[in-house]
Amino acid sequence: MDWRTGRLPLKGLLVVDWSVFWAGAYLGMMLHDLGAEVVKVESPYNWDPMRTILDVNPGARGAQQALPPEERCNLNQHFNEWNRGKLSLAVALEREEGRRVLLDLLAKADIFIENHRPHVKEKLGLAYEDVRRVRPDIIYLSISGFGQHGPERDALALGSPVELASGLFSLNGYHGQPVPAKTGFSYADPVSALVALGAILLALRQRRQSGQGRFIDIAMRDALSFGIGSAFVDWAINGRERPRLGNRHPTYAPQGVYRTYGPDEWIAISVRNDQEWQALVRLMGSPEWATDPELATAEGRRRQHDLVDQHLERWTSQHCARALEAALQEAGIPAGAVLDYRQLRLDPQLNARGMTQEVQHPLFGTEVRTRSLWQRGPCSQPIDRPAPCFGQHNRYVLREIVGYSEHEVHRLEEEGIIASSIHPTPQHD
Amino acid sequence: MTNNLPLSHALADVLVLELSRTWAAAFAGRLLADAGATVVLVEPADGHPLRHEGPFLQDHPHPEASASHLFVNAGKRSLALDLPAQAHLLLPLLRQAHAFVTDVPAEELDSSGLSWPRLHQENPRLVMTRVTPFGDTGPYRRYQGTNLVCLALGGQMKVTGDPGLPPLSNAGAQAEYQGGLAAFAGTVANLLLAEETGEGDYLDLSIQDVVANNLEGRSLTFNLGVMAQRSGLCPSAVYGVYPCADGWVFVNAVSPSLWERLKAAIGLPQLDDPRFASQASRLAHNDELQAIIASWTVSMTSDELRQLMRQGYPLTVAETVASLLEGEQWRQRCYVHSVRHPQAGEVPVLGPLWEHPPEWSPRPAPLLGEANGELLGDGDRQG
Repeated sequence: MDWRTGRLPLKGLLVVDWSVFWAGAYLGMMLHDLGAEVVKVESPYNWDPMRTILDVNPGARGAQQALPPEERCNLNQHFNEWNRGKLSLAVALEREEGRRVLLDLLAKADIFIENHRPHVKEKLGLAYEDVRRVRPDIIYLSISGFGQHGPERDALALGSPVELASGLFSLNGYHGQPVPAKTGFSYADPVSALVALGAILLALRQRRQSGQGRFIDIAMRDALSFGIGSAFVDWAINGRERPRLGNRHPTYAPQGVYRTYGPDEWIAISVRNDQEWQALVRLMGSPEWATDPELATAEGRRRQHDLVDQHLERWTSQHCARALEAALQEAGIPAGAVLDYRQLRLDPQLNARGMTQEVQHPLFGTEVRTRSLWQRGPCSQPIDRPAPCFGQHNRYVLREIVGYSEHEVHRLEEEGIIASSIHPTPQHD
Repeated sequence: MTNNLPLSHALADVLVLELSRTWAAAFAGRLLADAGATVVLVEPADGHPLRHEGPFLQDHPHPEASASHLFVNAGKRSLALDLPAQAHLLLPLLRQAHAFVTDVPAEELDSSGLSWPRLHQENPRLVMTRVTPFGDTGPYRRYQGTNLVCLALGGQMKVTGDPGLPPLSNAGAQAEYQGGLAAFAGTVANLLLAEETGEGDYLDLSIQDVVANNLEGRSLTFNLGVMAQRSGLCPSAVYGVYPCADGWVFVNAVSPSLWERLKAAIGLPQLDDPRFASQASRLAHNDELQAIIASWTVSMTSDELRQLMRQGYPLTVAETVASLLEGEQWRQRCYVHSVRHPQAGEVPVLGPLWEHPPEWSPRPAPLLGEANGELLGDGDRQG
C-alpha cells in the first residue's frame, strides 16, 4: 500500500454504509482508508443515533444547554471521529421511492454494510435477497450482537453489553476478587469491525475468482469470545473457569500496574524472565528485600507476588511514570505509563507514527482526527476530508455515482425523498 | 446462500509462514488458517512460547497440552527448527509462500537473512506483515512491550476498572488480539494488492497504534477536553451492570425508546414516577433509580432475563465459559468444534468467525515439528 502513488487495495470500489453507532461506522472508515469510496446512508427520520444520542458538544459554540438535535447532529465528536472521509446521502428509506433511490445506488455498489436487527431490514425491503436482485455480486455484510439466526437473533446489542454475553466479563476483574469487571468502553465494537473488515477482504478475493458476491453474518459476541478462546479449552481439560488474574500474567512475575508520583498516575511493568528481574533489582539499587533468594526464580516471585507488589510500589510511587518508563526500558524491562487520553495525544511514539492530524470541519471548525491504521510512520496516510454533515453529498452521490438527471434530483428534493436536515420528534430529545 | 465456497475456503490456495513468539502474530495465523490458508507455524526446537504458557491439562506443564497453544495454533502445521541457526531453511519455503507473518525483531530477521528487502527480491509477490508492540519507526521502536504495556500505552487501561482502584487490564491478551486482528485483515488486504499487481507489500503494524486506534472516546478529549474516567460496573442507572439472582445483567436504557422497553420488561409502577420521566431527570435521580432497578434484577434469574433479552428487551445476561459452550445459539451457529488432539484429548475450539459448512472443523493444534519431514525432506528432518 502506498497512498502517495494511489496503490490501495480497494481503489475504485464503492461501499454503501447503512450502519448505526460504532462498529459499522469504524468498519466503513477502514474500508475508505484502504481506498474505497464510502457513502453513509441515513434517513431524515432514522439517522445514525450516534449523531444525537449524546450531546457531546459542551464546548461547541459555548453552549451550556444541550443543542437541539438538528444542530448537534453535525457536530457530534463521536460521529465525526468514526465517519470521516465518507460521503453522506440522506434519503427517506421508509418511503418506497426512497428505498428505490437506495437500491439504485446499491446497483452500483460493491459492498453493503449494515448493523440493524434482522426484522428491520426485512421490513424495509433491504434484506440480502432484495439487494441481490439489483446487484447480484454484492458483498452484503451484517454485524449483529449474536448472529442473523438462532434464538438470540433479535436480542439488542451494544458493545459493552455484548461483553457480558461473550464470557470476557466473567473472566475480567481484579486479581483474586469475586466480582467481574467490564472494559471501560464499548470494546466489542472495534473488535467486530476488524473481524468484519477481514471477512469482507476474503469475500472480495473470492468475488475476483468466482464473480460471485455473498452475505456475511458477523456476530459481535463471537468476535469477543474468540479473543479468550483458550479459556474454553481450559474449561474442557480442567473443568474450571480460569481464576481472575487482573493485571498479573500466567507466567511473567512480577507483572502489574503500580502507582507512580502524582494523582491517578500509574505504570505497567512486566518482568518476563529472571534476567529482567535482575535488571530491575539493580535499577532499584538492590534493596535488601529484593535479594531474597526465593525471588530469584519466577516461581518464587509468583508465590510472593503480593509482597513483591508492595515493595515495588513503594519504589515506583516516588517517580514520575514517564521517567520511570524510560529508565526501565533503558534497562531492557517492558514498562509503560498508563496513559490517559490527553497524554495519548502527546505521546511521542504515537505522534512519530503520525496518529492524528487536524482537519477543517465546515461547522465545528478545527478537529483532531485519527489517521488510517494501515500506513503509519514517517509517511502516514493523510485524511482527505472530515465527516460529512447530514445529507451533504446527496446531489453528488445521485448525479455522479448513480447517474440521475438534475431534474430527477430536484424532484426528489422537492418531494422530501432526499433531505439535508434531520426531522426529530420529541422522542429524540 | 450463494454458490460460492464458504469463506472458510477463501484462502485455500494460499501458503502462509508464521514466525511468531506471542499472541498477535499467532492470532493472525489462526485467522488465516480459519480462512482456509495453509499456515506453517515456525517454532524453535523447544516449541512456541505459548506451548509453555498454559494453562495446562491438569496443570502439568507440557508443550502439547497448553490451552493457549491448543486454541491459537489450531489449524496450523508445525515446523520446528533450531533458530536462528537453521533460519536459512525458511528461504526455500518463503520463495513459494504468499504471506509471511511475524513478530520477530527486525534486527533478528536481518541477521537471519529474512529481511523484507531480501525476501522481496527472492519472491516479489510475497506479502509480509510484522506486528510488534511499537512498530518499525519512532522513538520507542526498540522498546520492550508486552500485552499489559501495550494496553497501558495505548490508552485502553486507564479507563478500565473501578474509580478508587488501579487501572485494570481485561482478561486474556486483548492488546495482542487486537493487533492480531489488524495483522490478519492487513495481510489479506495486501494479498489482494499482490494478486492484482504481481508485487507484494510490507505492512508495519504497531500494537500500540492498534490499541489507541480502537479507543472509543478519544475524540471527546482531543476536541472537547472531556476526559473519560474509570467508571466501574455501573456508570449510570440506565447504563450498567446489575447483579441478578445467580449472576449479572447489563441494563441499557440510554435512549427514550430503550427506557420505555426497559419499563415494559420490569413492569414496576415506581418507574412511572415523574422523577424518571425524562433522560435528564433520570440522571438527576440516578441513585434512587438504580436502587429500584437493582431490587428487580436481584429477583430475576439469568434464565428469566435471557428470555427477555431474546425478545428484544434491553437486557444482556452475563454468560460463563460453561454456559456458552452449552448454549443453543452457538450450537445453531456451529461455532464450537470438538477437536480430538492426540495428547490432550477432546478440546472445544471456537471458530471460524465467518460462514463455514456445518461439517467444518479445524485441524487440531500441531504436534511440535509434525510437518518437518514433509516440508524439509529427510535430509533436514529435525525434532
